[in-house]
Amino acid sequence: MEALSPFELEVARLLVETLHLEEVQPEDIQPEEPLFGEGLGLDSIDALELALAIAKTYGFQLRAEDKDNRRIFASLRALSQHIAQQRIH
Amino acid sequence: MNRDWARLPERGNLTALRLIHWITLHIGRPAGRALLYPITLYFLLTAAPARRGSQLYLRRALDRQPRLRDVFRHIHCFAATILDRVYFLSGRLDRFDVRVFDDQLILDQAASGQGCILLGAHLGSFEALRALGVTVKHFPIKILMNTAHNQGMTRYLSALNPALAAMVIPISGGPDTLLKVQESIAQGFMVGALGDRVVPGEKTVHCQFFGQDTPFPAGPLLLAALTGCPVILFFGLYRGGNRYDAHFERLAERIDLDRRRRQEQLGEWAQRYADRLEHYTRLAPYNWFNFYDYWEEDAR
Repeated sequence: MEALSPFELEVARLLVETLHLEEVQPEDIQPEEPLFGEGLGLDSIDALELALAIAKTYGFQLRAEDKDNRRIFASLRALSQHIAQQRIH
Repeated sequence: MNRDWARLPERGNLTALRLIHWITLHIGRPAGRALLYPITLYFLLTAAPARRGSQLYLRRALDRQPRLRDVFRHIHCFAATILDRVYFLSGRLDRFDVRVFDDQLILDQAASGQGCILLGAHLGSFEALRALGVTVKHFPIKILMNTAHNQGMTRYLSALNPALAAMVIPISGGPDTLLKVQESIAQGFMVGALGDRVVPGEKTVHCQFFGQDTPFPAGPLLLAALTGCPVILFFGLYRGGNRYDAHFERLAERIDLDRRRRQEQLGEWAQRYADRLEHYTRLAPYNWFNFYDYWEEDAR
């Protein structure tokens, strides 16, 4: 099992907290595991809720027009990398 | 809930639809409507799953064993609204007698500039909303639609009125769809969505509906909770001939979900939706356009 980087762990905590995933421990999330469908099993409402929480915490908006949304939301690692690049605070 | 609807072709059968629309536009609505009888008969005889779905539903809605003529009437009602789409989508409402109930609600909402969710169902004609909103009142409307489900039909209907097509937010199954909806609501758009079909993989909430425990999609209500916008119900009932009744009704000024009681509160809102849906469905039982085993009765 692969360990999360400190920032990945921070994003994992935000994810678990935002989506009330009571049975999931942030440190147990696999960084390359899909967030949606198979894997963590998130759905489109979760994606929106997560996007709003990211906007609040890191100060930037995820945009519907972004062609890379599927890639950005593919895994915890991809999402964390995107946040690290885009964050304002 | 039965997810068969995604696999059932919307058997509107594009060629037949084009033909009947052509006849309607060039010869007239009476000629188009005359063709509805053989077309209905054809579907009644050939579309066994739809026929079965209709029978199972009608038994509940009519509180008796439906006869074949009831199923015929059900399919005919559906076909009639499909025919009228050609007018609604091209904005020709003049020949229709559309009664609008509580339009003040929607006028006030539009005047406020605040976005909202217009929540409907596969009951009657949702197209009537597009037509009312765009060609008559110029409301800022967008419609959430499962376009992948029937691409040929979508392209064809889009061609009828490109301005109306531009209002569609396609359901992609990816993260973009709801981001788009959220952005639209923030910009003051009224976003239309249908709340009676469960999408595989999405959250559901159970309600009592026609005396049966029934899963409904939680998405529209969660969306309202996340965006803090009002939810207004819309049902466009077909009443026969050239008559449509458009009903607007406020479901929620806003939906606040308490963290600890989230599921319970969500259930209460969903039950209100289910109750109103059942009310309007009973008002116009042949307007129910879910032609599949909605309560999974055959699977039990």
